[in-house]
Amino acid sequence: MKYRNKWSRRRFLQAAALSAGGLISPKFISAKSGSFLTKPIPSSGERIPVIGLGSSRTFNVGNDPLGLENVTEVMHHFFNAGGKLIDSSPMYGSSQAAIGYGLNKLAKIKDVFSADKVWTWEADNGPAQMEQSRQHWQVDSFDLMQVHNLVSWQQHFKTLFSMKQHGKLRYVGISTSHGRRHDELEEIMKSHPLDFVQCSYNILNREAEQKLLPLAKKRGIAVIINRPFQRGDLFDELDGKPLPTWAKTIGCNTWSQFLLKFIFSHPSVTCAIPATTRVEHVKENMLACTGPLPNQAMRNSMIDYVEKVI
Amino acid sequence: MGELTSYSLSDFILFSDKVYYRQFELYNHADWPLHLIAIIFSLVIIYTFWKKPAAAWSGWLIAVLLSLSWLWVAWAFLYARFYQIHVVANWYALGFVLQAGLITWYGVIKNQFRFTGESGARINVGLGLLFISLIIYPFIALMTGRNWLQFEMFFLAPDPTALATIAILVLYKAYSMLYVIPITWLLISGVTLIVM
Repeated sequence: MKYRNKWSRRRFLQAAALSAGGLISPKFISAKSGSFLTKPIPSSGERIPVIGLGSSRTFNVGNDPLGLENVTEVMHHFFNAGGKLIDSSPMYGSSQAAIGYGLNKLAKIKDVFSADKVWTWEADNGPAQMEQSRQHWQVDSFDLMQVHNLVSWQQHFKTLFSMKQHGKLRYVGISTSHGRRHDELEEIMKSHPLDFVQCSYNILNREAEQKLLPLAKKRGIAVIINRPFQRGDLFDELDGKPLPTWAKTIGCNTWSQFLLKFIFSHPSVTCAIPATTRVEHVKENMLACTGPLPNQAMRNSMIDYVEKVI
Repeated sequence: MGELTSYSLSDFILFSDKVYYRQFELYNHADWPLHLIAIIFSLVIIYTFWKKPAAAWSGWLIAVLLSLSWLWVAWAFLYARFYQIHVVANWYALGFVLQAGLITWYGVIKNQFRFTGESGARINVGLGLLFISLIIYPFIALMTGRNWLQFEMFFLAPDPTALATIAILVLYKAYSMLYVIPITWLLISGVTLIVM
């Protein structure tokens, strides 16, 4: 019920996005207009688009033929718009199998940047679980494997780093969400040669800016941001609120683009992974990959504006 | 296991209400004409309690039908379908199998489902729950504005099966342990519906 309401709210917000007042200043902008935004993975230099695709809840459709066709359509438009990284986990029910279905149907198995997770308290089960995930995705191997929510991370790291060493995996990472266990994550980032870390961060939840994001920059760790819209709660907060007119100067015509640009304009963030079942939403999100990037001054203005209107 | 305390319930309900109810629609499509068996089971239960509640075989027969229902729901819905979208549904299925076993032991093997003939509030509550679970429940999808094909019936779906079981346990004054799993299931299901 909430998701259907969010769709109509998003449309309303889009229509109400233009308003009078606000500040327009080209000095708040960096990066060239029109360029497709990518960022490098520090450990390798490989560049990936600043927006990926999450699959928590949205791709969990079971064997429903209509559901599978719908997620395939979302993936089709995601790839068409230049998207590359898709993130999933065994925790997300049938999402991995839905991804594999879509990748196979779209012939994108070789093109996707596959980011998955290992999620089992029994570390000995890790390899078997990852192999099952690989079969669901129908990929030869994963690009990135993350320890999901820090579950049994010490044991799983042994497996993952060994896999990387033997060429069975390109990147090793770890994930958390909802602001959980940041202290422990910080210690892990300091002591292990991670390629990626995944955490939650958005314009209203900026806790990661305190330690995790600067640490990631310092340690050369790529950052994936989950829950960029707090599973739609941010749209509820911004319901009926107009975008500032200066949002257009950074290529933002909707709140989703505004919120995403705030996230990946942080110098430590590599990409954000919004999840959606709607083709319109994935197209709208991917438009945020183009246009100027706000610099720190404008980021401050974005925070001030949102905190004022909520 | 300490990490478990960092999770909330919504972390485990990783499917939308749309996907959840679609499972019933697909299930009803695939399992037709088993609905006829569900209707026959329901009519037998109603007739047996209405006409022969105190007969020696009455409770035994109803216990057989209940056991079969719990077993079928465990396999055909919870394990075969719900488990696709819900990582813990296999444990739910085990719980349903356990309940089938308990009903088989107490109701079928030991034949302890006995109608005492008393009237009053308990009987009214039992009859009310039976009426809701067998007659009303299949129409809830339509009444709440969903696709009518997403209906849930006793014998086929977990919620009306659990509710009908509680009704029968109340009417036949059965062993109190038999209430645990159905009540637990209805609580789990209720919370799931709220969190979705």
